[in-house]
This record gives sequence, structure tokens and C-alpha cells, in this order.
Amino acid sequence: MLYDLNLHMGYVYDVPASGARHVIRVLPLSLPDRQRLIAGSVTVTPNADERTTFVDFFGQQATSVLVRAPHDRLDIRMQARVMVEAPTMTADLSPELDELKEELAELWSVDPASPHHLAGPSPRLAEEPQIAAYAREIARPGQTVREIALALCARIHKDFTYDPEATTVDTTPKEAFRLQRGVCQDFAHVMIVGLRSLGIPAGYVSGFLRTIPPPGKERLEGADAMHAWVRVWCGETVGYLELDPTNDIPAGSDHIVVAYGRDYADIAPVVGVLKGYGNQKVVQAVDVVPLKS
Amino acid sequence: MSKAPATDRATETRTPKDPILGYAALPGIADEMLDANGQIRPVWRNLISHLSRMPEGDLQERFARADRYLRDAGVFYRTYGAQGSGERNWPISHVPVLIDGKEWEAVSKGLVQRADLLEAVVSDIYGENRLVQEGFLPPALIAGNSEFLRPLVGVRPVGGHYLHFCSFEIGRGPDGNWWVLADRTQAPSGAGFALENRVATTRALSDIYGESHVHRLASFFGAFRDALQAHKQYPEDRIAVLTPGPANETYFEHAYIARYLGFMLLEGEDLTVVNNRVMVRTVAGLKPIGVLWRRLDASYADPLELNQNSHIGTPGMVRALRAGAVTFVNALGSGILETRALLAFMPTVCRRLLGEDLLMPSIATWWCGQKAERDHVAKNIEKMVIGPAYSRLPFFDDNGQSVLGSSLRKAAKESVGDWLSSEGSKLVGQEVVTLSTTPAYVNGKLVPRPMSLRVFAARTENGWQIMPGGFARIGSGPDVAAIAMQAGGAAADVWIVSDKPVPKPTLLPPEESFTRNMPGSLPSRAADNLYWLGRYIERAEGALRILRAWHLRYAESADPKQPLLADVTRYLKAIDIDMSKAVPAPLLRNIDSAIYSASNIRDRFSPDGWLALTDLAKTARRFHEAVQPGDDASHATTILLRKLAGFAGLVHENMYRFTGWRFLSIGRHLERALHMTRLLGHMSGPEAPDGSLDMLLEIGDSVMTHRRRYNVATARLTVADLLALDPLNPRSILFQLNEIRTEVEQLPNAFVNGQMSPFYREAMRLHSGLAVMTPEAMDHEVYRKLELEMEKLSDILGQTYFS
Repeated sequence: MLYDLNLHMGYVYDVPASGARHVIRVLPLSLPDRQRLIAGSVTVTPNADERTTFVDFFGQQATSVLVRAPHDRLDIRMQARVMVEAPTMTADLSPELDELKEELAELWSVDPASPHHLAGPSPRLAEEPQIAAYAREIARPGQTVREIALALCARIHKDFTYDPEATTVDTTPKEAFRLQRGVCQDFAHVMIVGLRSLGIPAGYVSGFLRTIPPPGKERLEGADAMHAWVRVWCGETVGYLELDPTNDIPAGSDHIVVAYGRDYADIAPVVGVLKGYGNQKVVQAVDVVPLKS
Repeated sequence: MSKAPATDRATETRTPKDPILGYAALPGIADEMLDANGQIRPVWRNLISHLSRMPEGDLQERFARADRYLRDAGVFYRTYGAQGSGERNWPISHVPVLIDGKEWEAVSKGLVQRADLLEAVVSDIYGENRLVQEGFLPPALIAGNSEFLRPLVGVRPVGGHYLHFCSFEIGRGPDGNWWVLADRTQAPSGAGFALENRVATTRALSDIYGESHVHRLASFFGAFRDALQAHKQYPEDRIAVLTPGPANETYFEHAYIARYLGFMLLEGEDLTVVNNRVMVRTVAGLKPIGVLWRRLDASYADPLELNQNSHIGTPGMVRALRAGAVTFVNALGSGILETRALLAFMPTVCRRLLGEDLLMPSIATWWCGQKAERDHVAKNIEKMVIGPAYSRLPFFDDNGQSVLGSSLRKAAKESVGDWLSSEGSKLVGQEVVTLSTTPAYVNGKLVPRPMSLRVFAARTENGWQIMPGGFARIGSGPDVAAIAMQAGGAAADVWIVSDKPVPKPTLLPPEESFTRNMPGSLPSRAADNLYWLGRYIERAEGALRILRAWHLRYAESADPKQPLLADVTRYLKAIDIDMSKAVPAPLLRNIDSAIYSASNIRDRFSPDGWLALTDLAKTARRFHEAVQPGDDASHATTILLRKLAGFAGLVHENMYRFTGWRFLSIGRHLERALHMTRLLGHMSGPEAPDGSLDMLLEIGDSVMTHRRRYNVATARLTVADLLALDPLNPRSILFQLNEIRTEVEQLPNAFVNGQMSPFYREAMRLHSGLAVMTPEAMDHEVYRKLELEMEKLSDILGQTYFS
């Protein structure tokens, strides 16, 4: 599929902010055999006094900007054209849990792609005994890692209610699990904590999801949002599998990858520090426009 | 030293008071003072013969001298407990630990090798990562480590080195050999305390020290300072100690080191990144920083790219590092070397990276993420301490996170195997160590106490240098865990004793010669705190003066509804002071604010000033609870005013007249001017109740002057003349504005290209505007306008110097 992406994130401040530094991670990645960024740009208004780009540990291109003078709003816009191939689900060649553990122990690497990064706790994701118990209940003896991951994905989708009012960007997986409610970030975080508790390396994927309008309806502009799902390591042979617990589907050609990390903290689309007080309002608009290919 | 009376411990010549009597090594444990045969080791003989000849009172008087020194110098560290945090005097163990110079050479050699090894390891972890690829380090220990800072991967430090200053915790085993218990690379503390320990100990034992050929510490610091100077990329670069702030356990030391070496003491908020350069915000503008000796944990250094919850970091710092802007001591990410489980791999890693064996072994450690090691730990559980693999603290310092295998109950012991295999990668087993003992003076006697040494290594232009000495941590009881300071442990000086006279480098020049040659580099945050300290102190004084005058009158009339008292009560309410207590709560908050401001700049205060301030707060709190209105309260406020005057006097008499002092002074004068302006506006109008003018004079401490200067009764005009417009009355508004103008002239950037700065212009305008006024013209409107202009002046000051 070929897509045109438009993202707008606007921050409106009650009281002008100054000395604002932001690190922005919103451009889609280029991934061999999966996704190709044909063109893309990030713009910031007011104009940044300083601007640099760098590639972070997990391979995402990040833009670092500084807006020094007082300003009462900041707008970040991203435009991109991207080609996406759906990853295909092949026969299940993933091992069982014990075998996965051995494979992992024999993998002597801490390269960015190494599953070791995704095996233990990370900044936002501590161990949670309750989520671990929930995951243990789902994993049955003799199941492969992929089967377990799919089962957990389906179970979370079934048990959890999608509710943007229930949680915030800072909600812990423990809290989301207690509520059994939340948004894509919460679904993904709970699933990652559950998988890791079983010894399955799992990470966080941020990106875009094309939403399909109901039959007969026009696609609404700006109705899409940034999305998040889960990356599961299924052993040496299979490698990584991406699952979307919010929709209980494997990531397909509607999923456009922006960044991989251990959890939200690694790859938050925008991290900012600024001088100011008072409140801020955030507006977000996303358009994922499929083009005829 | 032909006679060594203490060698023969059985002689009858000893007095019953001899502190040595009865000292014996514990079975199976090495002792620093006694050798295996119970004989005093040669390096100790001189000290011990002095100590045992000394009358008991003499010895105690000497040790008291050391305590007095530490107290007067204000040496403290912070403790944390259920009651919150508190300050504790530095716990010195007065008897130094003596180590033979020859033996020390071997220790130094071992630690230099170790420092080189650690540099090679951290450089590999953040670089090529061959140790993992080749199977020398388990990937989980790196990837699962919270000190593995991914944004720093591939970022080579400027100058090429990650490590510049390390410390090692070492202990002596029963066989007499030294072992490394822990490596400290994140932000090693204690070097400054070691210096203070040395000064304190020599206060007590100066004669013995003088004749003992003890290696001096000064040249170690001098060499390190020179090395840091050499790291500056530009001559105008500054060097700073980066502290997490006054709430940190060892803040005293951060301030001490900064002052001792002539570096700035900064917090993350003082710094800003401009075009890939790290700059400090000073009252004279942004100044470049070349080297940061950090005392904060790396993950807090940048809220943008590291720990997003950090409030003590500098946004953009990692970006600056990517551009090679600044040298960190030590590089961000070096803390990973402190990981306890890494100790297990050091022997093989050393052979791989340096091609040689470790000269000094580490405490035997097994990472339970591997089967063979796990089984070994389970089998030998009686002789093990089990603790968290990623812990960066040695087992005796980790607040009980580690458990002794021998202390597990039988049932627990049987399930150890399961525990280790399910949680294995998170656990390490370490052999239980017995540390050597050294004499500590307890209740008039020397008793053997466990000890470990903290030894410091600094990278200099001639490679690693080991501090000849350092400090020994001495247990509060016979148990090894008792050497943790939070558990009551103490610290002793360490004397490295040579058999020949040692060079005596002069101590570094005093601090003034460094700070003095960098005028204008006062950090904005410090200036801000000084300014507000001045304001809060003066605000407290103003309130106290009003309260005293009120209570004096209340003592006479006992009627708070009396017009004058009611009117002043209204005034106080308008400035947020409610009178429900004789010494009201807002006054306490005010003093607390002053203390808070002062705590942020404590390095600029004498300990006396600090004590005066905390004493004031304590007294005010007591009065708040107990004091009754009237006589009692007027007496209490007088006491508080006297204490305030004491603090002001200390500041006035002792503080160097430098930029910082000017901000404090401006704060005081501005607050005093505001106080007087508001009071005059409220109490000198035609509608003010009877007695207002006399009360005003009393609050303004000008009753006598008024009587002397004016041949009339108190009148509106004379009061305005004396309290608003008299340039010689230190309580008048004009006097304050005059002082402010004088101070402002001396501030950096008072003139920009020969033109007055906006702040100077405003100060000038305010002053001259009032100077040409006559008493007749001073009415409520004028005072109101003046008040607003002064508040505006404060705002401009903030924008000009503090932002």
C-alpha cells in the first residue's frame, strides 16, 4: 500500500513558554521488505533557533529543536509518503518457552535488534505480579511462543475496554490492568509486561494505523490518531512478530511503523522541556491517506 | 625508634589506663595493628607508644580538638530515616589506620591496573561490544541494566576517556591479602571527606603526624586539578562541580571540593546548552563550561534524552555530548561498571582486555544467570551472601537487600535452588567476607573493629594516580555490615607511612585566589537565592517590628478593638499575617523560606551563619507554640529580633563583598524600602488613628532621632521627612534606594556600551524621583506609586540577572 501521511501536533499554552526544547520522533522508518519511506519532512513553528537530527539507539531518526523566545503555541507537522508491504504470517516455527529461554541465552549480542533489550523491565514497565499471573493463566504447556502471544493479544482485546477517558499518557500498566480500560498505549504496555513475565522478549512499536471508514461512508479527515502495538520475539527462526492488542490483529499493511523501543518512554513522539507555568492544551490530527498503487 | 615500648605487650610497665591493654585480634581475622603473633606492626609502633604514654584526659582532649574542628568547619552529611532526612556531624574515628608504604605501592599498582581495566570495559560496552559478542559478558547484564544508557552508545567522550576519577572499596581478608569489594565509577564520594578527616586527625595528633613520614594528600588533588584544566577545549572554559543539590547525602563534600579546587559549584538548572556548547547562566551572562565533575547520577543529567522525570538535569545535555561539547568526570553511562554482578567476570575480562591477571582479586562473586555458577552458589549457600545482580552498592551498604545464606531458615535453604533458577539472572552470590580489624577508641579503650578502605584514583597527565591514604570506614560494632555510615559506621584517616621522610607539598593556595580572579561568574541561581534570602530576612524583621509594637500596646490596653491596634491588625492581614497566634505561622514560613534560599547557596556561608539561621527558626517555632499576646509576645519578638540581628551581623561582618553579597544587600534594602513605603502609606495618612505616627517611629527605630532632630511633637511632615526622605536615616526609604543604586553600579553589565542598563536606569530613576520630593508631597498616592515601581524594579532585576 502507498500512503500519504499528515500529522499535526499543536501545543497551546495559557502563559507563553520559552526556552522550549523538544525531541520529535514521528517520521516513518524504512524497513527492508516491509516499509519504505519515499519522502518525509518535519516542520516546527515558530521557527526553531536550533535544530539537529540524529538517529537514536533503536534506529529512529529523531529531530531535536529549540525555540528560545516566548511563544504561546507550538506546532509540529509531519508529512510523509510511505510504501508498506504487509508482513506475512507463515507457518508457526516458533519454539516453546523453555527452548526460547535457551535460544536467548545463546544469543551473544546487545545490538539494537537484540531481544535482550526487551527481556527485562524498562523505564515505564516494572514487573507486575498481577499481570504476570494473568499471563501465566493464558499460557498453556506445549504452546509455542507465537501461540501464547496470539492468545494474550486476543485475551487483552476481549477483557479490556477501549476508553480514552480512563487513562492518560502517564498511566502505569498496573493501573490500566486494574481498570481493564485504556487506549492503545495501555493495551500494548500490559501485553508487553505479560509477555516479559513469561520470559518472552517484547517491545513497544509506535506508528500510524489506517482506519477504514464504515461501508458507504467517506473517510473523515484527521480522524486517525497515532497508534501503538507490540513486538514479540519468537525465537531465532521466526524473529519478531508484531501484534496489535487494541484490534486483536497482527500488524498488517494498515500499520505504518514509526519507531521501536522498550516502552513508550523510549520512543514518545514528542518529549519536551520548557520554561513556563500554567496549562497547555494539546491538539493532534492525523491523516492516513491511501493512494491508488 | 630504637625503643618500641609497645611491642612487648606483657610487660608490667603499663598503667591500668593504657588504652592498648586488652587489645587483641579476633580469632581468624587479620588485624591492621597486630600481626599474626600478636606483635604490633612496625609502622604502628610510634603512634601506639605515644598513645599509651599519654594520660587519658590528654588523649580525650586531643580527640575533642578533632571533633571541634569538624563541628566548626560545618562538616556534615545527610542521613535518611523514618523521620525524614537530617544532618549528622561527620562521624570520625579518631585513631588513624596506618599502612606500610611498601605495601601501599602494591595496593596502588593493583588499583591502577583495575582503573585501566574499567576504562577498557566501559569503552567496549559503549563502543564495539566485543566482550558480549565473544562471550565474556552476558548480554542480559548490559541490556537489562538501568545504567546502560542507550543514548550514549557510540558517543566517544572528548579526549577519549570515560573515566577520570574512581574509587575502590577494598578490604583485607584473613590471609592478609587485599580484595576489591566494590568499584565506584558513577560519582565516587569521599575524597573531600578524606581531606577533612586528615585535617581533623592532625589537629589531634599533630606531633605524632609530624614525625611519622606520612604521605601528604595535597599533591594528589593538585595533579587532578591540573589534569582537568588540561581538558578545557578553550581557555575561557570553566570547570564546575555538578551537584544534585543540597538535599544530597554528600552535598557538603560537593561544596567543599569545589571551593578547595577553585571550581564553580553548579546544579543542572544553572546550565544551558547553546549551539552544542554547555553554558552556565551567570549574572554576567552565559559563560562556557569545559569540564563537569558530576556528583549526580548520569540518568538525571538530561530530562530530554535520559530520565524524563529528572528535575535536576539540563535539557539538551546529551545532544551537547554528541557534539563533543564537554568533558564529564566520569562520562555519562560509566555507572554501569558498579554493577555487582560484573565483579564475577573481571578475572577473565582482564585477561582478555589487558592480557594479564588481576593484580588484586575482587570479592568472589557468582552471577546466578548461569547454571554452573548457580549450582555452586546453591551448594555453598552457608558461605554466601545473596543479593541483587544489578545493585550498584556493596552488600554491606545496600540497606538489607542482600541476605546471608547462613541466616536462611532450613525450609528456605532447601528451596534456594528453585529461587536461584527462577530469579537467577537477577541474583548474585558472593562469598561472605571477613574484614580485617583496626583499633577504634571506644570508652577509653582501643577495641578491634572491622574496616574497609576507600581508595581514590585520579587520571592525571601521567596516568592514574592513587591518593596516598583516603579513608577507612570503621564498623560501629564487630559485624561487617556495621561499617555502613547509615548504620552508624565511622570514618578514620589513613596514614601511608614511609620509612623515609616524605615530600611535603604546600597545600593548594587558598580558595580566594581562584574565585577572585573570576569576577562576574556568579551563577544566576545563586544570585537569585541570595537576593531572596535578603528579602525574606528583611521581611521577617519588618513583621517582627510591627508585631512587637503591637504587643507592647496590647500589653497596656488589653483591647484588640482599640482603633490603633485594630488598624494595624488590618494592615498585617493585608500582608498575609493573621494574628491568631502571638508569633504567627506566616512569620515561621517566612523564616523557612529564608532557610530554603540559604540552603541552596550554603557553600557561600560560614557554618556560623547557617547555625544562626536554623537557631532562629527553632526559637520562632517554640514561641509560636507557647507565647501569649502582650508582654510575653513583645519579649519574644525582641529575642527574635536580636537573633535576626545576629545573623545580619554575621553576614555583614563575614561575607566577602563580592557580587553575591550585592544581591543579598539589594534584596534587604528593597524589602526594607517596600516595608517602610507600605507602612507610611497606611499609617501616616490624615485618617490614621491616634498614635499611628508614634508607632511608626517605633517600628522604624527612629524615636530617639526624631526627638533629637525635630523640636516639635510627632507630626505627619516630620515623620515623612525622617522615615521617607532622610538620606542619613538607615531606616528611611531614600536611604535604601541610595544603597540600591550604589550596589547596582557595581553589578556586571550595569552599563551596556556605555549606556545604562534598563535595570540601572530604573534604580536611578526611582532614587532621584524620591530624592527631589518634599515631605508635603508625600501622600498615600505617592507611596502607592512608589510601591508599584519598586515591585517593577524587582521584576527587572530578575529578568536581567536571574533568567
